[in-house]
Amino acid sequence: MSPPSIESPGSSPLPPAQLSLQLQPACLDPSRELERWQGELAAVAAGAPAATALFIGRVRGRTAAGKPLEALELEHYPGMAEHQLHQLASACARRNGVAAVLVRHRVGRVLPGEALVLVAVAADRRGPAQRCCQALLEALKHHAPFWKREWSGGVGEWVLGNTPLG
Amino acid sequence: MAATDSPPARAAGALHLRVRLFAGLREAMGWSEQAVVAAAGATPLAVWNQLELGEGWRRTRGGADPLRGGVATAPTPAPARPRSPIPASMPNLPPGIRVAINHRFAAADAALADGDELAFLPPISGG
Repeated sequence: MSPPSIESPGSSPLPPAQLSLQLQPACLDPSRELERWQGELAAVAAGAPAATALFIGRVRGRTAAGKPLEALELEHYPGMAEHQLHQLASACARRNGVAAVLVRHRVGRVLPGEALVLVAVAADRRGPAQRCCQALLEALKHHAPFWKREWSGGVGEWVLGNTPLG
Repeated sequence: MAATDSPPARAAGALHLRVRLFAGLREAMGWSEQAVVAAAGATPLAVWNQLELGEGWRRTRGGADPLRGGVATAPTPAPARPRSPIPASMPNLPPGIRVAINHRFAAADAALADGDELAFLPPISGG
C-alpha cells in the first residue's frame, strides 16, 4: 500500500516517496545499484532530485571480539523483514518529506569487505536527505528482523544487538 | 471489504497457532516452527512459558557478555551449564526478546487469535 501524502501549511501535498526496497541473497554491488536508481530518478520530466544522501555498510574483517572474521551470516524472517522494510522506509520518507528511498540489504553469507547494506535517499534539499538516510539506517538496525552470526575459526556466534552509532 | 462468514466454531475454544523461532533461540531449542495448541485467551507470554522457551534462551546466554550469544558450532549440543537463574515460568519475557504476530510486532500480553503465526525474536542485529 502506498503511504499517504503529507501536507504542510501553505504548500501542496507532497507526493508519496518512490521506494525501491530489496533483500539480496547474492552479492550487492552498491555502485551498480546506485547508477540504475539514479537513472530511474532522472528519467522523469523534472529530473532527479537535487540532493542524494547515501550509506554503504560493509562487513568488517574482525569479529566484535577482535578475532579474524571468515564470514558474516545474515538470517531474516521472510515476510516480516520485507514488511518492516516497507513500513520503516515509508514512515521515514513521509516524516522527512523526501522524494525517493533505495534500500538493499544482504541476506545469507557475506564475506569481509563485501557490502551488507545500502541506503540512499533523494530529496530536494540535503537536510531531509541526510536526516532520512541516518534515521532509516538506525530504524533498520533496531526494528527489522535480521540477525547476524559471526563465523571465525569454524565457529559461529550470534550477535545480540548492534554496535554503537559512534 | 465484503461481509464474511461467521468465524469457525473452534475460534471460541483452543487456539491453534504456528510458532516460529529464529537465530540463537531457534538453535538452542532445536526447532524453527511448530504447530501449537494453546488455551483460549493465551498470550504470547503464556505460549513462551508453555513451550519452556526461557530455558532455551538461557542456553544462548551462556557467555558472560550480555551482548554476545553463546551458540557455537551449530551441530554440537550445548554442554551442561549451571542452573538457570531464570525460573521455568516467567512473569515477563526476558529483556531483548520481542514478539511478532502475523509479521507485526506485538506486546507479550497481546490477544492471540486462532490461526495466528506467533514468532519470538531474539535481539535484532541488522544493517
